[in-house]
Amino acid sequence: MSHNIPPDRHYDGERHLWAHATDGARVVVGIDALGLESLGDLAYVKLVEPGTPVKRGDAIGTLEAAKMTSPVVAPASGVVAARNDAALRDPSIVNRDPYGDGWLVAIDATDWAADADHLVHGDAIGPWVDAEVERYRTEGWLE
Amino acid sequence: MIDRGAPVWRRIDDDRVTAAAGLAVDETLARGAERMPTLRLYTYASHCALVGRFQAVEHEVDVSACVRRGVAINRRPTGGGAILMGADQLGVALACAAADGDRPVHARDAMRRFSTGVVAGLAALGVDASFRGKNDVAVGGRKVAGLGLCRPARGGLLFHASILVDLDVPLMLDVLRTPFAAITAREVALVERRITTVRRERGDAVSVNAVRDAIAAGFADAFGVRLEPGAMDAAERDAAAAVERERYATDAWVDQRTDVSDGVGHASVRTASGTIAVRLASAGRLAKAVHIDGDFVAHDSAIADLEGRLRWHPLERDALVRTVDAVHAQWGADLSGVPAEALVDAVLAAAESSAPSTYGCFVNPEGVR
Repeated sequence: MSHNIPPDRHYDGERHLWAHATDGARVVVGIDALGLESLGDLAYVKLVEPGTPVKRGDAIGTLEAAKMTSPVVAPASGVVAARNDAALRDPSIVNRDPYGDGWLVAIDATDWAADADHLVHGDAIGPWVDAEVERYRTEGWLE
Repeated sequence: MIDRGAPVWRRIDDDRVTAAAGLAVDETLARGAERMPTLRLYTYASHCALVGRFQAVEHEVDVSACVRRGVAINRRPTGGGAILMGADQLGVALACAAADGDRPVHARDAMRRFSTGVVAGLAALGVDASFRGKNDVAVGGRKVAGLGLCRPARGGLLFHASILVDLDVPLMLDVLRTPFAAITAREVALVERRITTVRRERGDAVSVNAVRDAIAAGFADAFGVRLEPGAMDAAERDAAAAVERERYATDAWVDQRTDVSDGVGHASVRTASGTIAVRLASAGRLAKAVHIDGDFVAHDSAIADLEGRLRWHPLERDALVRTVDAVHAQWGADLSGVPAEALVDAVLAAAESSAPSTYGCFVNPEGVR
């Protein structure tokens, strides 16, 4: 499970968030499997309201697991077009299906091409995942 | 011997801070932690009730009792359950960088790592505590300190610990929402079997200042740093005042709600060694608190440890089995009267019976039938 990092997405390498341009400039955002491995079972999810303008790097939500709270940081500038109300009611959806039903927000990005350059993508994903998995193993979080 | 070449952390001591000001200072220190790691050791003015980041205040706190008894209410930036803080509870706030060199700090590792300062400090006081599960420090299965962590969006990392030097259990039961119909010696005893304090463990009236110095030394030893006494500068004081004014002193912060439903349920399972009765308080698909009772024979501390390990635990069979098996492996014969499979069955049956409720999670949901 922890190695499940789909190659068709862009990743915030520090925060372990994924971004997926699905329909023109609409970018769906979620947390990746390694981020969930680090946090554990989510107890609560808070996300900003649709219609909120955001800049890349802004906090657009907060996740809580095992008494740790951690921000969801916008990987793209634009306007929040939608949020996953089902995940707000039942955060376990995010743990069960982080790349599908467990998505968090969708952003209508104003300049996705520029924002995407700041994220890990394409051929860079493999080496990044290898390094992260090795780090998790070293720290005892993966067998 | 003091290592003059060791990295320096600032140490700030505070006492009798208000809830809003205390939380605002911690957040301000976290924002500046990349520049100056700070260990703050402080007490709140007696008393305040602090709920976890996403808890519903009216589910966790008896607001009218708080008003009657002059207990302030506020919301922490860190997760977890409601706590009562005052002159006999030492607050620990470690504000540090969110990265260790060029590597981001791993969330769950951070909780365990930072707890070592608390454990080392308690050991110096003769209290044999250890990190339990994911986020508690316990002595023989009884919780002596709660831990929390927050990674603010604007940088830094904030580790919180609340160390019970002493605890007014009747007051806690009065101001935190519990399903107890009345607070008698029995209810107090129930809580005291699951929580301990530094004074109780030592059998003396050790001062909060002595605990504070021991915890400071524990962090210095555990992290190989030198602590320099300090205070916030003028810019930090201004920033903290703004955070207090704009966040922690506002109803908008304190009265937040989430869409996750709280619930309570109960179930009993008969085994060859007796009946296991489980009462459960849940938040969505997580257990907030599990109370285990019955006519089986088991060590009180083992039951307390088991209940502690099941707090904020997913209500899923495989995960429950792994956790309960691990506790069984630790306690052995002291827990043999509570077969793992039967206990997991009872917890899941209690979850199945769960109905919406407005009860909080700090104490066990005794009395819910």
